[in-house]
Amino acid sequence: MDLRHRSLLQKRIGFIQGAAWLMILLLVCAYAWVQIIMRSEMQELALRQALKMRTTPAPRGIIYDRNGDKLVDNRRALHLVIQHEDLPTDAAEVEAVAAALQLDPESLKRKIQVGRQAPGNRLLVLQDNLDEAGVAKAEMLRARYPFLSIEVAPRRVYMGDDLAGHALGYVGEVPPELLAKEPGKFEIGEIIGRSGFEAARNDRLKGIDGQRQILVDHLGREMALFGIQEPKPGRSVYLTMDAGLQQILRQSFGPEQGAGVVIDLRDGGILALYSSPSMDPNIFLNRLSQEDVDKYYRNPSRPLLNRVSQGIYAPGSTYKLLVALAALEKGIITPATAFTCGGRKTYYNREFRCDAVHGTLSLVQAIAQSCDIYFYELGMRMDVDEIHATAMKYGLTELTGIDLPHEIASRIPSREWKKKAKPKDPKWYAGETISVAIGQGANGVTPLGLARFYAMLATKGKVLTPHLFYGTRNEENGQLELFQPLPARDAGLDPKIWSVLDEGLYQVVQNGTARASKIPGLDMVGKTGTSQVTTFVDRSHYSTLAKHLRDNALFAGYAPRDNPQIAFAVVVENAGFGASSAAPIAKKLCEYWFLERPRKPLPPPGGKLFDAFHLQTGKTPVEVTPP
Amino acid sequence: MRERFRALDPYLLVPILVLMFMGTLTIFSASRGTVQSSIWLKQSLWNLIGFALMLFVSRVRPSRIFNWSAGFYILGLLLLLAVLVPGIGKTIGGSRRWILIAGQTFQPSELMKWLALLFVAHRLGTKPPDYLRAADLLGITMLVVFPMLLVLKQPDLGMTLSFLPIFMLIPVIKGLRARWVALGLVAVSIFGVFAWQKVLKPYQKQRVLTFLNPNADLQGKGYQINQSRIAIGAGGFFGQGFTAGSQTQLNFLPVKTTDFVFSVWAEERGFLGVLMALGLFGMVLNRILEIGRAAKTHAETYFCIGAACLFGLHIFVNVGMVVGILPNKGIVLPFFSAGGSSTLSYFLGLGVIMGVHYRTKMK
Repeated sequence: MDLRHRSLLQKRIGFIQGAAWLMILLLVCAYAWVQIIMRSEMQELALRQALKMRTTPAPRGIIYDRNGDKLVDNRRALHLVIQHEDLPTDAAEVEAVAAALQLDPESLKRKIQVGRQAPGNRLLVLQDNLDEAGVAKAEMLRARYPFLSIEVAPRRVYMGDDLAGHALGYVGEVPPELLAKEPGKFEIGEIIGRSGFEAARNDRLKGIDGQRQILVDHLGREMALFGIQEPKPGRSVYLTMDAGLQQILRQSFGPEQGAGVVIDLRDGGILALYSSPSMDPNIFLNRLSQEDVDKYYRNPSRPLLNRVSQGIYAPGSTYKLLVALAALEKGIITPATAFTCGGRKTYYNREFRCDAVHGTLSLVQAIAQSCDIYFYELGMRMDVDEIHATAMKYGLTELTGIDLPHEIASRIPSREWKKKAKPKDPKWYAGETISVAIGQGANGVTPLGLARFYAMLATKGKVLTPHLFYGTRNEENGQLELFQPLPARDAGLDPKIWSVLDEGLYQVVQNGTARASKIPGLDMVGKTGTSQVTTFVDRSHYSTLAKHLRDNALFAGYAPRDNPQIAFAVVVENAGFGASSAAPIAKKLCEYWFLERPRKPLPPPGGKLFDAFHLQTGKTPVEVTPP
Repeated sequence: MRERFRALDPYLLVPILVLMFMGTLTIFSASRGTVQSSIWLKQSLWNLIGFALMLFVSRVRPSRIFNWSAGFYILGLLLLLAVLVPGIGKTIGGSRRWILIAGQTFQPSELMKWLALLFVAHRLGTKPPDYLRAADLLGITMLVVFPMLLVLKQPDLGMTLSFLPIFMLIPVIKGLRARWVALGLVAVSIFGVFAWQKVLKPYQKQRVLTFLNPNADLQGKGYQINQSRIAIGAGGFFGQGFTAGSQTQLNFLPVKTTDFVFSVWAEERGFLGVLMALGLFGMVLNRILEIGRAAKTHAETYFCIGAACLFGLHIFVNVGMVVGILPNKGIVLPFFSAGGSSTLSYFLGLGVIMGVHYRTKMK
């Protein structure tokens, strides 16, 4: 080998050696930068993506009826969610996920935006209650979009489907309107009661969510658990409702529309409350199908309306007891005052009719036969404001105060009411009082208000506060804390007047309009009512009238007569005579409650020993004052 | 027995054995708890086979190997062509890079680098440097460019570029002149613009863009580099400990037994481990060049220089890539990354180098 060239090559090899060591030095500098100078920043990044806080949703309290039968339970369900810290930023990815899950991409983007700004680390639920196919699909999506995860969370189960849908209500994510209205009270995405008792007692039912500190892998899967704060479940709640009686009430309605409610006369506890058509709260836990949207939101029957506390019906003849009470109290008549019914009579140049020619009747007979002429005569002699004042005294004009949201008060007309309601025609005409006296005209009561009025009659003047809340069980010490309902207000009903009204109601069932619903061995008393839905139809061909134009049937009363325990009101829409469709339902209720119900003692009302609980646990409940 | 190992140079052998041991440990840690958890055993087997291959090659006289180099080169080309034949070539992830031999996938392009270097060194070594003309150099360049084009066709850009160090031989032999460098820079920039406009596929452009600004796309292509940097940085000075790196064990680190195996080492062994590994790599390169310096023939010297450049580029690109100072090219790290074809090819090259050392009887 040529020596000159040899030395040149060796020089160049030396140069390459230098370059190699320089390269090594460069790499050492790069690693020193990242591993020594950037170390803490990188360690924090590593920790931040591996160490996560996860919220463990607390189960809501279980709801039992007064006997300890489950009405609402929880079960574990799988949800496809995005954890708070994983909320994606890539719009294209969000759109792809929305398309795969058939969600609206714009609303999903908005939700992600809102969720990112929200404090805490609540997760965003994309799809809840996954079935097997849903889980498989979610797992596939997760492989492509690692920000998705599958979370186990408790889910409500409403037993008996539509058994007591309106009373129980349902749960759902807190709606944006509520978030805006009461800032700070709810967290975004929180599950709250949206209607019924779930909404009314949300504070009692909701628990405190737990937190988990976990180590996750790149797919967000939990690899190790560091710290845990267990969720605190919501308190179990007992309702005053009796599931058996509720079942009877639901069955009695069948396909008919209407409402029925039964009140425990000892404390105002609701024993049964049913609005027909009913609703199944389980449906509302899911995204509604088109079929369900049509069934619930585009249905002229308005199944979501709780007819018991939100339905306004003309009371018809059930109102006559109020008019009689007012007339007796004001001294316009005495119990012995008699009027003669000729089947028709003209007042203020207009002819009014009665169902039959009753002849001369006393007040008791007029109530029993539901004679309209007798009450037209009372209407002639009274001012509408006198009737209204009596209604106010006995609590018919106010909200009953039941623990259900959005209750509507009964509408009892007065001069003042007309001024407000009809500003174009504010004057009250005396002729209007004639219609009002038989429960037509502007009168409108809720079945609950009506039942409470008859409960007042049953208790000789005590105005109760109807309620569903019976008590809670403290999950920590297992103790039962009973709800103390508001004490009944004594409206001051004269016992003499009461005994006349009581006799009238007794005669209705014994010999009067509801005699077909007489129960052997049980004195159920009450008043039938048949109220016109509209006055603008030709009533001479009533039997061929379209169903929705037919009269509403009502029956309200209490039982047993000598020692009243329950009061009730039943409305069957467009069913004709109250005696033929509403009274039989009341009869079934009383038969069940007093004769057929399993012969265990009726659990006592609030404030005393709760025996079902006591028998189960042997513990003595403590009493709490109402919230 | 001693006789059999006498050909091996301890100054080269020991660093390589230590690096191999470190690499296998790293693969064990990286694949722990995954479906590939036995890959470290497989890699140990490849290392053993490679070692035997090196032992065998080191005992063959280098001049004989150089005389056969044209045949080896043609064999390598045939294998590369076979890859492109549907039915023989195996397609994984859209690229046809492998052929199936006895149930094992084999990547001929890894082998081809060394066969091309062998043949080029032989061709260059037949004439004294002063008699090498531009035409000769062009012919030799074509010998490298042709297999590069075949590899690009697979497509495998990273592997194609890894042939480039062979060209380092030209300035080493002919010297470096300023006007050549200028000419080269102009040629590269023209080629670069052309490649950007016409040749590069969108994902390849994306890689370059990602390299220029990794933070722009944290969930996408920049994700790998970013996670790798986090792993390396989280290792700190002393490392998180063997099988204790959170980035590795929680799978945040991607392709951690091949491309990003050095990040695993850096996370679990820290800066100290990195210093040790880089020091050993430096010793390997240094020793290969020393052997080349002492070699008796031009071809032997050229081969050693080319081999050092090949190793050096792989080390520099991979180690630089995982720490984020070089683009994500998909180039593996010698002695660390898991893989049969590359391991066998490295040992083949080392075998030739050991043989050169044996014949020169250097101290």
